[in-house]
Amino acid sequence: MLPGDFPSIIPTKPNRKDMVRLGVLGITGLAGLALVVIILLFVISAWLGRPLSMFGYDEGPDQPIVFPHTTHVQELGLDCTFCHRNVTKGASATVPSVGLCMTCHTVVGDESAEIEKLRDYHAQSEPIDWVRVHRLPDHVRFNHQAHIQYFSEKNNILPSAVCATCHGDVGNMKKVRQVEPLKMGNCVDCHRDNNAPTDCTTCHY
Amino acid sequence: MDGKKWGMVVDLDKCTGCQSCVVACQSENNIPINDEPLFNQRRAIEWIRVERYWEGEFPNIKARFIPVFCQQCDDAPCEPVCPVYATYHNSEGLNVQVYNRCVGTRFCANNCPYQVRFFNFWEPEWPESFHNQLNPDVTVRSRGIMEKCTFCVQRIRRTSRDAKKNGTSVEDGDRALNPACVNACPTGTLVFGDLNDSESNVAKLTESELHGDHGRGYHLMEDYGTNPSVIYLKKVDEDAELEEAHH
Repeated sequence: MLPGDFPSIIPTKPNRKDMVRLGVLGITGLAGLALVVIILLFVISAWLGRPLSMFGYDEGPDQPIVFPHTTHVQELGLDCTFCHRNVTKGASATVPSVGLCMTCHTVVGDESAEIEKLRDYHAQSEPIDWVRVHRLPDHVRFNHQAHIQYFSEKNNILPSAVCATCHGDVGNMKKVRQVEPLKMGNCVDCHRDNNAPTDCTTCHY
Repeated sequence: MDGKKWGMVVDLDKCTGCQSCVVACQSENNIPINDEPLFNQRRAIEWIRVERYWEGEFPNIKARFIPVFCQQCDDAPCEPVCPVYATYHNSEGLNVQVYNRCVGTRFCANNCPYQVRFFNFWEPEWPESFHNQLNPDVTVRSRGIMEKCTFCVQRIRRTSRDAKKNGTSVEDGDRALNPACVNACPTGTLVFGDLNDSESNVAKLTESELHGDHGRGYHLMEDYGTNPSVIYLKKVDEDAELEEAHH
């Protein structure tokens, strides 16, 4: 090439090897972008509320015994407080002991494999290792009794009618799942609406 | 909950320096166990400590004790220096440390003239046998968090909740309300209560000892102007009284 000449601006046709390389680069780039978008979606949705249902967090966790709330609440009409006995008395609602289950299940439900599992637990004197569905961070103190009492007195309803405010319609769930995000925003909004204290030491100490 | 101002009176004439308050506080508030190297590093966590001073020369030597804990100052030097509002004053006169807001700058500890704020330099650890004795009503503070005496706010919350449940009011001197150190004190050195309730023991003691004539009351390091909610009653000096009587 002589000085002052311009190189040809017409691109030469890339050879086959370059085409393949560019194709692979483009595809990996697009895949990477898609991955970043999915991760961002997950993080942002989990930050704002609960992770998007497409990630499978919509369903509750598998429990050691498939316990249908529907059978007990809808068909038998049991009150929430019949099993969760401490909910009107103390901080935690408590999961019933195997013994309480066995008051009925020594005679009821001979045909079910799940109830056989329950009887095995009882025979071995072992507690059932339920998977926790609603978990607040360690630095949060929540008291069930105070909330149940306030709402049942305010709205003149049964204690068991208050539960759905935070837990959703558990009686309708085959598998218990978390309905509300239960972030601090939920707590504070409700506390403001009800003129409850919003001082930090109400819950954090 | 409104209109309360929690305060404490420490009668130094009654303190024997037995350290029961220190032990009670340690177990009530999930404070990790301090060992000798920790003390040597000045990194031990003691929400309440009993300071010991010697007075006089050998034959007539006397030990003086001062229990020191967070003074819950009305004009607390620790509060304005926190960049994240992790420490603030609430409506009950408590100087609150919000663990989940704290980012661990340690400015508050540096600004506290009483040295009653402690930093978690490590993740707290307990021996296996202690795992089930942790108080479930108190957060276990993780590494990088500032902590200090809360006047056992968990007990205040519990009694006010129980009072609401039973339709009663919080009683002065209720053992369920008193901080662990007050309950543990065998000599009644520490008195806890609501300073705004003129019928409470602390308010009466404040009135007679701090504001009254010839009272023994004083604030710790009063000249800093921190306005503490803790009132100390100085030790009665028997010899000094005898001398006065002779004149």
